[in-house]
Amino acid sequence: MNQPMLFVPEFALLAGVLLLFACTALGASQRTTWLVSTLSALAVVVACLWGLGLDGEPFFPGIYRVDAFSQLFKLGVAVALALCVLISQQSASMRSLSRVDAHFFFFMSALGMMMLASATELLTLYIALELSAYGLYILAALHRHERIGGESAAKYILFGAAASAVSLYGISMIFGAAHSTYVAAVASSPMSPMLLFGIVLTLAGLLFKLAAFPVHAWAPDAYQGAPHEGAAFLGSASKVAAVAVLLRVLSLAGADAEQLQTMLLVISVASMTLGNLAAMVQKDFKRLLGFSAVAHAGYLLIGLAVLSPLGAASAIFYVLTYVPIILCAFIVVSAVSKHGRNPAIADLAGLYKRSPLLALVLLVAMFGLAGIPPTPGLAGKWFLFSAAIDAGFLWLVLVAAVNATVSLYYYLRVVKEAYLTPPEGYEDIRLSPAFTMASVFAMLLVFFTGFYPGPVFQLAKEAAIALGL
Amino acid sequence: MSDMPILSIILLAPLVAFLITVVLPEAQTQLIKIINAVAGLTTLVLALVVWASYDKDLGGYQMIEDVPWVPDFGIHYTVAVDGISVVLTMLTAIVFLTGVLSMWTLEKRVKEYFAFMGLLVFGVFGVFISLDIFVFFFFYEVAVLPMYPLIAIWGSTRKEYSAMKLTIFLMVGSALLFPGLIALFVESGGHTWNLVALSQAGTFSESTQIFIYPFLYIGFGILAGMWPFHSWSPTGHVAAPTAVSMLHAGVLMKLGAFGILRIAIGVLPLGAAYWAPTFAVLATIGIVYGAFVAMRQTDFKYVIGFSSVSHMGIVLLGLNTLGVDGVNGAVFQMFAHGIMTALFFSAVGFIYDQTHDRDIRHFGGLVGQIPVATSFFILAALCGMGVPGFASFWAELLVFIEAIRVFPVLGMVAIVGLVFTAAYVLRVLGLAIFGPKNSDWDELVEPTPFLSIPRIMLIAVLLFFGFVPSLMVDMISSATHIFSAAGASL
Repeated sequence: MNQPMLFVPEFALLAGVLLLFACTALGASQRTTWLVSTLSALAVVVACLWGLGLDGEPFFPGIYRVDAFSQLFKLGVAVALALCVLISQQSASMRSLSRVDAHFFFFMSALGMMMLASATELLTLYIALELSAYGLYILAALHRHERIGGESAAKYILFGAAASAVSLYGISMIFGAAHSTYVAAVASSPMSPMLLFGIVLTLAGLLFKLAAFPVHAWAPDAYQGAPHEGAAFLGSASKVAAVAVLLRVLSLAGADAEQLQTMLLVISVASMTLGNLAAMVQKDFKRLLGFSAVAHAGYLLIGLAVLSPLGAASAIFYVLTYVPIILCAFIVVSAVSKHGRNPAIADLAGLYKRSPLLALVLLVAMFGLAGIPPTPGLAGKWFLFSAAIDAGFLWLVLVAAVNATVSLYYYLRVVKEAYLTPPEGYEDIRLSPAFTMASVFAMLLVFFTGFYPGPVFQLAKEAAIALGL
Repeated sequence: MSDMPILSIILLAPLVAFLITVVLPEAQTQLIKIINAVAGLTTLVLALVVWASYDKDLGGYQMIEDVPWVPDFGIHYTVAVDGISVVLTMLTAIVFLTGVLSMWTLEKRVKEYFAFMGLLVFGVFGVFISLDIFVFFFFYEVAVLPMYPLIAIWGSTRKEYSAMKLTIFLMVGSALLFPGLIALFVESGGHTWNLVALSQAGTFSESTQIFIYPFLYIGFGILAGMWPFHSWSPTGHVAAPTAVSMLHAGVLMKLGAFGILRIAIGVLPLGAAYWAPTFAVLATIGIVYGAFVAMRQTDFKYVIGFSSVSHMGIVLLGLNTLGVDGVNGAVFQMFAHGIMTALFFSAVGFIYDQTHDRDIRHFGGLVGQIPVATSFFILAALCGMGVPGFASFWAELLVFIEAIRVFPVLGMVAIVGLVFTAAYVLRVLGLAIFGPKNSDWDELVEPTPFLSIPRIMLIAVLLFFGFVPSLMVDMISSATHIFSAAGASL
């Protein structure tokens, strides 16, 4: 395959970045920018779909790999990006000055995430990581109320910088132990305490991206303080990229890293338990989603911790199907929010009367997060749990399944508010065509993968094989 | 006929009704009801066709449809029926149709009600015909969750509490099923989720079976109302609206018992044999306990709710005998109890809709005021007592014969429990239906002929199988011949 052709998804995204930069520079209106951004995102999705079968190494061998693994993750990022910009037409929760610029940062960050999926050399990986992070830091700070945005963004940046530093330190240890920063070379070098230590440190910085315990504390704050669309992007695309990079680094360790496995198992159990317990008492809907994200990081880590191809495939399936589900939730957040304020759970009252479509979207999102069919949440958990039992962790599945039961309580509380409480004192919600489109599209994705998980699981399995875990 | 995917059509009928209901405007209530009734009628007709075309002499699984679903994970959409599925599919179709008909006067949020109900029935049909463990569990969860909104929105009496309690209890059951079901796949070598393949003798060692069995038995048992995990069931029944109670007690609790029979006992016979004496004790406690508690209740629906615990105890006792007669009786009882409870709730619901009162002490002499409506209740009550002439008589007889043979002491205790069943049923009849007339209720009117149709259908079914039990027993035994005649020594 022609070398530049391998780069088509990234080129499409880069073109979008430049177009949006031009929009900002030429002072285009909000509406024009949104149109450009939505169409570009659509083009990126098409490019990613086209690029699913690509395989090869553009540029220097060993640094940047295009294969089934990277391309699938790029598609996940592209879909998340497209849905996020689609609902950013008004961006009422965003500072009015920044509503045009925000699209540029969405694209910039997505570019970093896509490169992250392909990077097979640790420094490239680190640079891609930072590229994706800067866009997110800025997006998190754009809340219309400076104080809210400032606080959450400061927390996010400080935590993020510390995590990056730890990762970088870990990479230096890996280099010291393996005398290389190429993933392939590190993976084939003999395991030593120093290498393991390096991998653990690198992982610690990366687990931050996934919002796993004990580096999860920023997530609820950032979800709460970021503008809705920024939080949506943070909760969907960023998760996809985090799983990609974690899998890549874990493939360094090979299958015989028992200490690493123990560490990941502990983190997994702690994340899901803490996330679910904390989410039970939340009143702010976005904050609830933030803690639920911590819990889901725990479920995802089951797939990563078992260090098997089945586990990797399950984690990939889970995070890809998680994207449309969590975006359903954020579509509701964004549409319900009045004057850009954060909706409390109580503000969802009587949604079934105020906007039946939105209530349905919310129902789909909550059932999806809780793992109730016909959403893919059930299949995702089923695959993850199968991988865990296959690796001999029956107890882990019991803990996770009990956790899923606990989580049902707060997801159902949200459903109850939307379907049971009368809509007194709340106005009807008129959905703009963009929101209707995003809702229908996200729900179609959920139902398709829910009723027919076969194709996505097949792609995930191929990706896991390409990873070579 | 044989190449028509008849099982998939039965499965899809409620889903199609659900989809049409979702897209129809809310104001079209009459159309929504008609569409769901048509779907119910379609499933009933097709269930009759399945019953008629199932070859009892051949036995085993028939009308198999197999489509790869997640081929990379060995998951297939495999549906088929054996004698047990045929009976339970019929039960679901009857309860679906009569459930729609008895909610004909519903006015509150009609569209959403029938949408959730269609989804629930879709799940129930799916469970009864699936042969793949993942597909089975998929439908199982589809069936369980709509109960939450159905009770919480249209229910009464602490409805939100009951709905949440029910959901959490059932999900705890699922939390046990997750590891149990997946362990079957992994322990068998990780090739197949197919129940027939997994049921082959020698797939699992005895120690594995003994380890996994309680996960599955208790996980499914919670939904079957097994003592001591039954407490969600009476509160759920009481809170639920009429047709939901009908579906809930009539069909949904059978999913649990069916899961035990099809997966727990079917795949792990050695585990079942090991645990049967223990779980038989719990089942017997359930029979006696349910009857005792029902005697002290003052709410119509609580009486029926606890009687369900008692009657499902009979089903579980029958299953634990592991003998042909016991299992036949258990399945027969699943069917009979499903129809009978549907009738019970339907009759009580009719009275409650007019009075908004269910305290049996507030009533008296209703039989003089509304003889037709009360006669439905009386007939259901007689069936609940297991009076000869009704289907449940044969079901209980079979279970108790086998129980006495296998567990003599437990069998005797359970039969004594039946005396208390008679006591609580007669107490309700004496207080509310007969006895001195209470003039508070002079305004009560009889059901219209149209509203009587579903009740008459249910009574007809109960009487029919009461007089021709062999039809039912023959159908069930075509699937249960694998159990030994002596029981428990499988």
